[in-house]
Amino acid sequence: MTMLNFFSPIVALLLQEAPRTRFDLMREAAANPDLSKFLVIGALLFIIGVAGVLTRRNIIVIFMSIELILNAANLNFIAFPRYLYETGSVNAAAGQIFTVFVIVVAAAEAAIGLGIVIALYRNKETIWVDEIDLLKW
Amino acid sequence: MTLSGYEALFFWIFGLAAIFAGLLTVMARNAVHSALFLISSLVSVAALFILARAEFIAGVQILVYVGGVMVLFLFVIMLVNVGAEERGREEIFNNQRQVTASLIFCLLLVGGVLYSVNQGYRGLQALHPTTPELAAAQQATREQSLPTSGTGSSKLTHDSQGLGGVLFRYASLPFEIASVLLLVAIIGSVMLARTLRQEASADDVDPEALREEIARDPEFAKLEPKSE
Repeated sequence: MTMLNFFSPIVALLLQEAPRTRFDLMREAAANPDLSKFLVIGALLFIIGVAGVLTRRNIIVIFMSIELILNAANLNFIAFPRYLYETGSVNAAAGQIFTVFVIVVAAAEAAIGLGIVIALYRNKETIWVDEIDLLKW
Repeated sequence: MTLSGYEALFFWIFGLAAIFAGLLTVMARNAVHSALFLISSLVSVAALFILARAEFIAGVQILVYVGGVMVLFLFVIMLVNVGAEERGREEIFNNQRQVTASLIFCLLLVGGVLYSVNQGYRGLQALHPTTPELAAAQQATREQSLPTSGTGSSKLTHDSQGLGGVLFRYASLPFEIASVLLLVAIIGSVMLARTLRQEASADDVDPEALREEIARDPEFAKLEPKSE
């Protein structure tokens, strides 16, 4: 009997619910991704695109990084209308039409930009941006 | 908006795929590999659009970006490819100091953006408090009220319909302007990509540029417009 008295607090300690740690909270948040996770992925894609524009030498890859940046903005334009729809705002789809226009402008920009790249390649014989220094003197 | 169950799993799969494909786009040595990684990043983002219930935008993204813009990119890569970067002779990044400065700038940007997203979302949560269970229950009741599809195995949503309504009710003028923008883009890219030979045969050549070209290569002399 004395033995049981000795062990019972230990058993009680083992059986009690563990306090919610930071790790538990993170696991719960990962199991239920919400608006902020969409925004974080959009932000990371945006910054990868900015890094590509700033560091690459190939002008075509710089254009691709710009597409990545525009796409990250589109992700935000899609995530917010969804959130606003669930909080019961009127005209929740209004955010999605911005995405349509961003895609239109991105397509036009790609066509013009690649036309410029071809004209530049004909005149300068290079696609490296540090060799395209027509404005330098 | 709170995803749960399989949607959460697919969200993480496609989100991480988008980010890693984006990283590889920036870091690939060969420009064709960059383009292929960019395609996979765009497709992953389209999957995220579907998870955020924007099916129409996801379809547009795949048709326009993957079907149109990326094919254009691949054509241009093959037109201007110098082939030097695959052989490993050329440096693909700018010089050391520029790369260091821009990476420091990007790290600052990461910190600032993640901090502000965190703070801002905390404020939004205080405004509209919700729990995952509550959100799932709301989602279930919303799906109950939707009509079933012809096979009876799924539900039909009104999302594309709502997008079309909003587009033509509130944004019909920007829609028309976008069509003019696309026309300008078509004309501009045709103008920019013309060669001197094509310009001369269309009788639209700058005489001074042609004279310079003839000085460099006498072959071009036969392109000179005949003056009566």
